[in-house]
Amino acid sequence: MSQVLVITSGKGGVGKTTTTANIGTGLALYKHRKVVMVDADIGLRNLDVVMGLENRIVYDLVDVTHGMCRLKQALIKDKRFENLYLLPAAQTKDKTAVTPDQMKKLCEDLRKEFDYVLIDCPAGIEQGFKNAIAGADRAIIVTTPEVSAVRDADRIVGLLEASGFEEPKLIINRIRPDMVKRGDMMNIDDMIDILAIELLGVVPEDEKIVISTNRGEPAVADEYSRAGQAYRNITRRIEGEDVPLMTIEEVEPTFMDKLRMFFGLKARRVKGEGARWTF
Amino acid sequence: MAVEPVIIKGTRDGIMIIMDGNTDFEIIKNAIYEKLQNGNGFFDGGMARVKVKNGSLSHEDYLNLEQILKEFNMSLQRQASPRTIIFPGQCRNRILLLKKTVRSGQKISYKGTVVILGDVNPGSEIVATGDILVMGVLRGMAHAGAHGDMSAIVAAFRLQPTQLRIAGIISRPPEDKQEVPQFPEIARLKDKAIIIEPYYQLNFESIKRKREGIK
Repeated sequence: MSQVLVITSGKGGVGKTTTTANIGTGLALYKHRKVVMVDADIGLRNLDVVMGLENRIVYDLVDVTHGMCRLKQALIKDKRFENLYLLPAAQTKDKTAVTPDQMKKLCEDLRKEFDYVLIDCPAGIEQGFKNAIAGADRAIIVTTPEVSAVRDADRIVGLLEASGFEEPKLIINRIRPDMVKRGDMMNIDDMIDILAIELLGVVPEDEKIVISTNRGEPAVADEYSRAGQAYRNITRRIEGEDVPLMTIEEVEPTFMDKLRMFFGLKARRVKGEGARWTF
Repeated sequence: MAVEPVIIKGTRDGIMIIMDGNTDFEIIKNAIYEKLQNGNGFFDGGMARVKVKNGSLSHEDYLNLEQILKEFNMSLQRQASPRTIIFPGQCRNRILLLKKTVRSGQKISYKGTVVILGDVNPGSEIVATGDILVMGVLRGMAHAGAHGDMSAIVAAFRLQPTQLRIAGIISRPPEDKQEVPQFPEIARLKDKAIIIEPYYQLNFESIKRKREGIK
């Protein structure tokens, strides 16, 4: 059974596009699923840039819904990952160029071809949001440990419930364990307490995300990235695997680790399960 | 691990009898009897309070216990927890019962009393012409007695609203971050100001009188 997932947040800048890119890549790379990522942020397209596929765009989502081209023509095959496709947004139009019914039809068409359809939702709760959720079966809500982001996420949960979505899942992005420890940042329990939805994963703040975003290479493929590890776990949870949520605490490196690091033999790295950082 | 059916602890103003609600009362009774007997008159004339873990005490057992304590010259202090407290809300004809989390951006307006089985999150609004009762955490804005009913109340399992309104009076919690109370509370009007009291220590008589006076 193929699934249509919408990745949404309400607030902008919390990492919807990054999350979409990483989950999409993760599902295609590690689970060998056929995945298409749909950029629903018409007029402010970003997903193509994050994926490093900007220069391959010929047709876009608006062209498809308006019948200007065939669906196959607009789909961009990823340059690195087998089974991964992108349907880019139009940059010269705005959100009103598409209706929820057109999006529903588009999702139904994509569902026949792919195992996963991931929709990158724009910020806000207006037309763009309504379009993005129209054809989706399930929703993933991204938030950061900020009061404003959690407030907006709560609003989104309410709107999704009103639209008939059952049990949206939550991803907490850009958490900083050291700040949480000091009590300077909202902790996971506080957020779960307010939002009262199931946690899909926690992604730590990671400089590598900035680098990978600018390079157009999703961090999930980087085995040494902390955020990448978190996204790999999220990917497995989406697939139905039971990956326990671990405590987010940086494990102090042992003396031998420090020695190895000193000689450059060991990076502060994460690899696979039983990693130094587990999310 | 076997739970001891009865534990007796000394407190400032007497003793506290802590009993396990799952154990048969007959066993508890014997255990208390034995413990008091071993005291050799030490407990004489003292006050006792009762706390029941994992359950509650029936009225019959309560009287029974009082009898035992009397034999040892002790008095049982009546306490709020073993009794049922009647909610001081008015009996109104119209009640809206909602079993959900009220989320940011959602507004519940109702002519009558609103009862919510769930949380009320920040950014949401509850407006009722009658009382508002939240069986969860109230973090949003609540307006009771929206049509000017000065006797309306707002009660919540955890009362942490962004703003409270009763009739025409608006109040907000103190700015300085203080310890949030971890018990149910009730907000009502007193001399044109909103006061908040712990639910268990409420003077129900005064509210009742006030309500009847207004009627």
